[in-house]
Amino acid sequence: MDIIVCIKRVPQTAEAEVKIDSTGKDIEKDRLTFDMNESDTYALEEAALMKEKFGGEITVISLGDEDAEETLRIALAKGADNAIRIKAEDFDELDAFQTSQILKSVIKDLSYDIIFTGCISTDDAYSQIGLTLAELLEIPHAALVIDFDANEDRADVQRELEGGLIEHLDVALPALFTIQTGINEPRYASLIAIRRAAKKEIQVIGKDELAQSEFISNSTLEKLYVPPISKQVEILDGTAAESSAKLAGIIKDKGLL
Amino acid sequence: MAKKIINEDINDEIREVLIEEGAEDIYKCYQCGKCTSICPWFQVDMYNFPVYRFSLETSMGMVASSEDKDELAAEIDKIYRCVGCDACVTQCPHGIDTPSILRAARRLLVDFGSYPETLKSTAQKIKNVGNPLGEPAEKRADWAIDLNVPKFQEGMDHLYFPCCLPAYDSRIQNVAKATAKILQQYDISFGILGEKERCCGEAIRKVGAEKVFTEVCKTNIKEFSGSGVKNVLVSSPHCFTTFKNEYPEFGADFETLHITQFLSKLIDEGTIKPSKEFNKKVVYHDPCTLGRKNGVYEEPRNCLKCIPGLELLEVEEFNRNLSVCCGAGSGGLWMEWEKNERIADVRLKQLIDTGADIIAVACPYCLQMFEETLKSMNLEIQVLDVTEILYESL
Repeated sequence: MDIIVCIKRVPQTAEAEVKIDSTGKDIEKDRLTFDMNESDTYALEEAALMKEKFGGEITVISLGDEDAEETLRIALAKGADNAIRIKAEDFDELDAFQTSQILKSVIKDLSYDIIFTGCISTDDAYSQIGLTLAELLEIPHAALVIDFDANEDRADVQRELEGGLIEHLDVALPALFTIQTGINEPRYASLIAIRRAAKKEIQVIGKDELAQSEFISNSTLEKLYVPPISKQVEILDGTAAESSAKLAGIIKDKGLL
Repeated sequence: MAKKIINEDINDEIREVLIEEGAEDIYKCYQCGKCTSICPWFQVDMYNFPVYRFSLETSMGMVASSEDKDELAAEIDKIYRCVGCDACVTQCPHGIDTPSILRAARRLLVDFGSYPETLKSTAQKIKNVGNPLGEPAEKRADWAIDLNVPKFQEGMDHLYFPCCLPAYDSRIQNVAKATAKILQQYDISFGILGEKERCCGEAIRKVGAEKVFTEVCKTNIKEFSGSGVKNVLVSSPHCFTTFKNEYPEFGADFETLHITQFLSKLIDEGTIKPSKEFNKKVVYHDPCTLGRKNGVYEEPRNCLKCIPGLELLEVEEFNRNLSVCCGAGSGGLWMEWEKNERIADVRLKQLIDTGADIIAVACPYCLQMFEETLKSMNLEIQVLDVTEILYESL
């Protein structure tokens, strides 16, 4: 079973003070650490588990600049067999639709049974790449997958819906799945795998090597800004029992339980 | 059953890479096992930590080598159990530096994101905002707001560098406050860097994040030399050891004293004379990084012995170079271990068994580790920094 995993190198902003840069369209990244996008690590692990079960090869693909090769090597150390970097430096600003088209132009010529992507990237948070890519490739897809199993030609998946509902699907392969965090426990890389990965060749594909040169954009980033701070306070009156009942009602209405 | 090793398991390349990363001591080992018996983990009943095997396994290139996901996770967990206390180094007949052997493996693992998530988050916070707590730089000097502590300026005698925990942690800020008040009381010329202060990086280097360490180290050296800093006073033995022993290789040119060394000298000279009685039994816990690694045993004791009424106790046998680590070194402060698998439980029991009213420490990491562990043990004994006790007696 051959599997493709799309991964992205993203700045780690959870533990950082995020500031808008001078262009007004990006954040200052000088002092930030970078790592593989969180849900992509789960997508890669799901691929590694499938490879353990069925054999075959895992190919990881990233549309990124040269630093993305560091992330691709981590993927090679954690179970991937091949790595492809599409040179982001050959393109100007890309929206999610363009990124999907570029990925499609490379993936369409590869052999695969399954494509995994993370369900969302922690930087742009569009959640569009996986499903758009599947539509462009004209293959079935399921998003926010929280449980995955497969045989040679079908996948048995569960995906998260709003309000705590879970949808159970039987999907014909080849297909694309966007993986939710927590579906598995991503593995460490052994030192042997690390050394092996350090020596592996990463295939680098430039814009001029792609079958098409124009990629349609359907959105433009106008500006990034820090949302204004607002406070909404509601005081719950009454006895402890009354205010507890009101609180429970609010939590229930908001779908938090 | 013991695992049978065959020739194919041995990996010369891994061994050579680990030697390049600092595991050069491996061939000195003759498997006597003294390291294992002195390691603090040996006193934790529920955890098996065979220190004597690390040199041998490294010499065979069999470190973090399992192909099995769960076995590999257990191997890496072991690599991150070492708290870098150097008890094994001082007891080894050949002086083998086992923490550095393990750190060699850590360095390779960190570069590939193969280390515990809590430590990854700590490294990110230190790089991104300059401290392991993830607090903003502009709050770094909040502890000093009411004390009129000046910003360091060229010409001042000392830079006081409190460490990240005394700067941000609401409990441990009292250590920085007590220190500043003592220095002010005796008209010591000093200032702080405030929001320009960043973590020293010692712990994260021990975790294996060499790139993050190098970056914070160079940033600090630039800030210190640009501000004209010649002498640094520190509250943390971790800042102390890295400034004194590690920063010079990156071009640092300043002297560092642990605050207890500086205060002890003032006591010996007769400048500081505690007058208030402190009628408590106090047991002093030697922090590994101050004592075993840097030989500072007597100065913190001197700061306590001079206090009228204070009865200084010692942990029988396990004091000075035999002191048992609190478990916070080399990233241990941020690790989460099972309740029956904690070094701090062992050390606290030794300290409490002395019959002391108060545990005195000279390290913010020990202070936080003991206080947090005591909460989960439902035991009540006060933990205070030496400077807090000294300030109370002035």
